[in-house]
Parts: sequence; C-alpha cells; structure tokens
Amino acid sequence: MDRRTFVKAGCIGSASLLMQGLDPMMRAESAPTATPPIELHGLPDYKPSPLGMPGLFPARVIEIREASAIVRNRVSQPIVRPMLERAMKELTGEASAREAWARFIQASDIVGIKINPSGAPACCSSPELVREIISSVQSLGVPARNIVVYDRYSYEMDVGSYQALLPAGIRIVGIQEAFGSGGGYESDVYCDATFFGEWETRSYMASIVVHEVNKIINVPTMKDHSASGVTGALKNLAYGTFNNVARTHRAPYSFTNPLIGLMCTVEPLRSKSVLHIMDGMRQVWHGGPLTQVQDFIDQPGVLLVATDPVAMDTIEMEAIEKTRRERGAPSVWQHDAKSITANTEEFQHDASKNLFYRQPGHIAAAGQHGLGIADLKQIDHRVVSV
Amino acid sequence: MKRETGNSKPAEDWPTLLKDNARSGGQKPYPARSPERAVWQFRAGGSVRSAPILKDGNLYVTSVAGVLHAIDIITGTSKWKFQAGGQVHATPSLFAGQILFGSDNGKVYAVDLHDGTQMWEVPTGAEVWASPVIRNGVAFFGSADARVYAVEAASGKMRWVQEIGGRIYSTIYAAERQLYLGCGDGKVYCLDSSSGKTLWSTSTGNGIDSSPAVVDDLVLIGSEDFFFYAISATTGQVRWKYETGLGIASSPAIWSDSTFFGSKDGFLYALEIQTGRLRWKTRVGEVVTAPPMIGDGVVCIQASGTFALDTANGKILWRAGLAGAIQSVPVLAGETIYLASLSGEVYALR
Repeated sequence: MDRRTFVKAGCIGSASLLMQGLDPMMRAESAPTATPPIELHGLPDYKPSPLGMPGLFPARVIEIREASAIVRNRVSQPIVRPMLERAMKELTGEASAREAWARFIQASDIVGIKINPSGAPACCSSPELVREIISSVQSLGVPARNIVVYDRYSYEMDVGSYQALLPAGIRIVGIQEAFGSGGGYESDVYCDATFFGEWETRSYMASIVVHEVNKIINVPTMKDHSASGVTGALKNLAYGTFNNVARTHRAPYSFTNPLIGLMCTVEPLRSKSVLHIMDGMRQVWHGGPLTQVQDFIDQPGVLLVATDPVAMDTIEMEAIEKTRRERGAPSVWQHDAKSITANTEEFQHDASKNLFYRQPGHIAAAGQHGLGIADLKQIDHRVVSV
Repeated sequence: MKRETGNSKPAEDWPTLLKDNARSGGQKPYPARSPERAVWQFRAGGSVRSAPILKDGNLYVTSVAGVLHAIDIITGTSKWKFQAGGQVHATPSLFAGQILFGSDNGKVYAVDLHDGTQMWEVPTGAEVWASPVIRNGVAFFGSADARVYAVEAASGKMRWVQEIGGRIYSTIYAAERQLYLGCGDGKVYCLDSSSGKTLWSTSTGNGIDSSPAVVDDLVLIGSEDFFFYAISATTGQVRWKYETGLGIASSPAIWSDSTFFGSKDGFLYALEIQTGRLRWKTRVGEVVTAPPMIGDGVVCIQASGTFALDTANGKILWRAGLAGAIQSVPVLAGETIYLASLSGEVYALR
C-alpha cells in the first residue's frame, strides 16, 4: 500500500478536530447542569419495519467462544465460519445457517455491512469475519454489487486494509474522508441539540443509510470507550451513522447518554438495522476506542449475535467489567474525580485513569426508548459452542 | 537477475512512486536536519491520499476530489489542473510527456504533462488505486476488479487483460519480462509481461496491499499475515520470511544489502536481504503503512511525523513534527521536502 501513509487516529483525529475547534479533549468550562433538548428528525412518512431494532428476537443474545479462532493476534476464517453458522442457527432456531440468514436477508436486498474500523489495526471489525458475513449474504443470492461495506471514515478503513482484504465486486465506502469533510449526509434527517454551546448543532444521517441500503448488518467490536463506557452495537450505529458527533464530548463530560440511544431510534436507521454480529475476537478493556496498546487488548475469540442491540451491549459491558475487575481497573461506572486526567499519555497507559466520566448508562437509556432489553435478568443469554 | 535500476532521470525528478520503478525510494543525499519552515503551502481542495511526484520544476498531486494539480515548485501556485470523473487515491506516474493515474471510477487517465489536457483513458471494472508502472512503452496496472491490465502508454491501446484472484491495490514491479505484484487473495503473482499469463503464484496467510521490490532474484513484499517475504523471482519459492507484530501494508525500499519497511505494529524494520536477519527495528509511531525513502545513509519514513533514521543502526537522526494530519508519502528533493496532507494541503518544507 504505497499511496499513502497513516498516522494513528488518536493523533490524526485530534489534529483535524483541533483545526475546526471540535477537539473533544477541549476542556469544558463548567459541568453541564442538565441534558439539553434533543430534536430528532427522521425520514418523513417512513414505514417502520418489524425487523427493526429490537428486531425478531428481543432480549436474546448468542455468545460463542473458541480460543483457536484467534491465535497470536491472527483471526482464523475457517474457524470463524462454523462459529457464525452455529450462532445464527441458535439465534433463529433454524436448522441450517442458510435458513437462519434468510430470516433477515432476501436476494433482492441492498445490504449494508456497518463495520467498526476506528481502532485499526489493533482492534477493528476483523476482515476475516466480514468476509464470512459477505459469503453468507451472497449465499442467499444477493449479488456482490448489492453489498456495501461502509463506515464513516475512509482513512480508518484504509488502515484496516479492508479495500484489499474483502472480495472483489462488493462496494467499500467511506462516507467521508476525515473529520469535518463534507458530503455523504442527508440534510432532512438529523438530530439537533446544543450540548456545549457549539455553533453547529445538527448531526445528519449518512445518505447511504437513508437512501442506498435497505438492510444493515452491524459489526461492532468489543471495546471499552473512554466517553460512553463501552462501544458496541448501539454506538457503532449511532456515532457511525450521524456526523458531527465529537461535539458531544467536552472533557471530562459527555452526552453520549442519551444521544447514542436517541440516534438509534431515528428512522430509517432503526428499521434497517436487522442484525448485529459483535466481533469479540479481541476485547479492549481500557483505552478504547482507539488504543493500540496490546496490554489492554485481550484475545478471547468471541462472537455475539443478536437482533437486540441493547441486550448485546449489556452482555458486552458485563464482559468488559469482568476483565477490568480481574485486572484491578475501576468499573466503567466509576465517577471518581481522582480518576480523571487530561493527560492522554497517562490515560493510554494507566487503566485507572480516564479522560471522561464514562456514560455506560447510555445502554439502559436506549432500552427505555424501546430499542431492546437492558435488564440482565430478562436477557436470554445463551452460551454455545461449535 | 540483475538489480533493476530504473530509467536515468535528472537528479531532481521523482517521476513515480518511491521515485523510480526500482522502488529505490530516492538514493541521494537528503536533508541532514529537520525542515524548519514551509516555503509555500497549496490548497488542493480535497483530501490528498496519494504521493506527489516531481518533474522539471513541477509537482503533480492528485486529490480525492478527483483533481490532478500541477504546481510550480518555486512559487507554490497552480499551473493547471485536470478533473477526473471520480475520486483519485492513486499516485500518478510520468511517461514521455504524460501523467498516468487511476481513478475510483475505474478509469486510468493519461494527461498531457504541459497543459493538463486528456490524451486517453482506459476503463476497468472497479477503482484503480495502484500506480501505473511503465516499462518498454507499456503501462501495467491492477484494478480492484481483480484484473491486471497492460496498455500502450502512448495511446492507451489495450495489449492484454489478466484476471487473478482478488482485489489489487499493490503497485506492480515491472522487470524486463516479468511482472510481480501482491493481491487481496493473499498471493504474490508473477506474470509474463508480454501476455499476462501467470508464471507462478505463491500464497501468504492473508491479503496483500504492499507493493513488491525485486532485487537479486528475490521478490520482497509484506503481507497482512504479519510476515515480510523474500520469494524467488524465478520459481516463486519462499526463501525466507520475517514476522512482525501486525500486518504489513508498507512497501519495501532497498539500500545496499538491506531492505527497509514499516509494519502496522509501529516499527520500521531493516533486514538483511539475503538472509532475512534483523539488522534493527525502531519504533516510529503507533502504526506505519508508508513506504520508507532511502538516502545516502539515511532512511526517511512518514509515521507520527517525518522521521530520518541512520540506515546502519536505526538511530533517529531527526524527527519533524509535521502534525498527525499528514497522510502522504513525501518527495525528498535536496533541502526541500514536499508533503501533502489529509486535509488537502500541499507543503514545500525546507
């Protein structure tokens, strides 16, 4: 890959944002007193789909774990294949993987696969898993040209080398080149709010979601997130679909709760997001979402499959909390001022420090908006093996 | 096989990716110190994801907005610009008064070097991010449609098309009779340059977007399987491979009996070409995907800034804090470094 070099997103993001006055590490002048009013403008007259979140199987989360699926940081596609098939059958109760997939996808669909490349290369949606998803979709008769793998930022996809690693014929789309670059968003579908007195108060939905695809398969990763607590299915959809979201953070405060959940309720994003396949081959338990520090990245070899993103993220958070406890790191719920630092280097290498007061409550808030079930007692969490 | 030396060019020219078709990355004295100021700054009007090239006092830069810019290197002003029909991520190449480059609309364009008028275009089935390589009057390039194309560089007339197993983002290395390239299907291919027929292919453990260098009968290339390979250019047999910490998208450069490349694990590596023995490795950032540039005893790499390291031991000689937003491969021309950025700025630094 010669056409470009890359400088890790932690640097590039800060630099780019800084130029636009949108640096999330900019300190808030004072603690916000309350959540501001948030206006949601969905696509007018859009008819909701029964496949939309929480989907066909509310509260059900399938977990499948296979240690040999990732060895020395390399994901094995031949092992991922039966894992995904088994999980899909368990989720749907169908006898075959093909029948399971057919509950969500038809041959005439335009299928978007929403990946998460933001931690690339250390932790991002594994190309090996994405290839298996593509193969499964194609097995239903969806032609390659009707499959779109996408994310917001082209340069992050570039670092993950998705362009080279995915099959020929499918489309690979970055909605925008970088922070602040225009284009690719629908002017009539947006969320409007002022969080910290910012001048640009709207976040627009990606046009590819509004107009191009009619089904979305969400492929989040399993990561701690310095602002939202964890980043999973909900955040990958919300902050990966709407633009101008960095403005919701002003260290050490963040409005990811409730904005993440609210964004996921906006049509047509809600209706089109029919299936969530969480890549837990790697698990970032501190420093997310962008860390490249391998000390904070475990390799459990896990997949979670669900139609309910709230239940999925609840299970994800439990897993990350468990790891953090085992490693002596504070809970993502902790709001101790002593744990807050403005020093990114310190944050990147000390699991007891954080940049923000994390907002893991965004998951339950999304549940309150009808996107799924956050109560562990109500979640049908099935752990299966190949 | 003899060492490829590329065409003889005036010292200041930089007509293609990594300076010449030999992937030398320069091979001339470079600044012994960090640049201190921007001589000029040019706004390209769109992100730049490719590397500039240099010829006869003009810098040629493509932008994602689909524009090829010709910039006067003395004044930093535009001489002309050409609008392609799609986004451009490809580094252009120069050939006999033409600039060749690929576009996301699947076309490869040839544009007149002097006035920016289109001379010809060739369609492919998907985006073309790899740079065209010209050898003996024929331009060779791969496309994301999984095909390798050979066209007459002067006219754009098609010579042959060869389908291989995956998307192609690797720039071809063109030897006298063979072409070498990596492919998204994880294989390194050797094709007959006259027909496109596959002479051999060798599998690695994952896709390839690195571009090969060839020296002393060895094809040197990195793979996303974390390994750097040395493969017999004649037989395709793996001679040795070296494991890094993550995937390798960076293309290698050659200096004396060493090869240099970056890995996504953040290190720049120097290996002995004949054995694969590690000479040194130095951390230059969190992630490296750029190819290194080689000077007289100095290797330069774009990572978390621009680094210059001693080729003998990997010691960092200087580091220029050119901000994280720089996302292009630099052109090193004596005391001046030309760089383009993700934000669409082109800089002349001295």
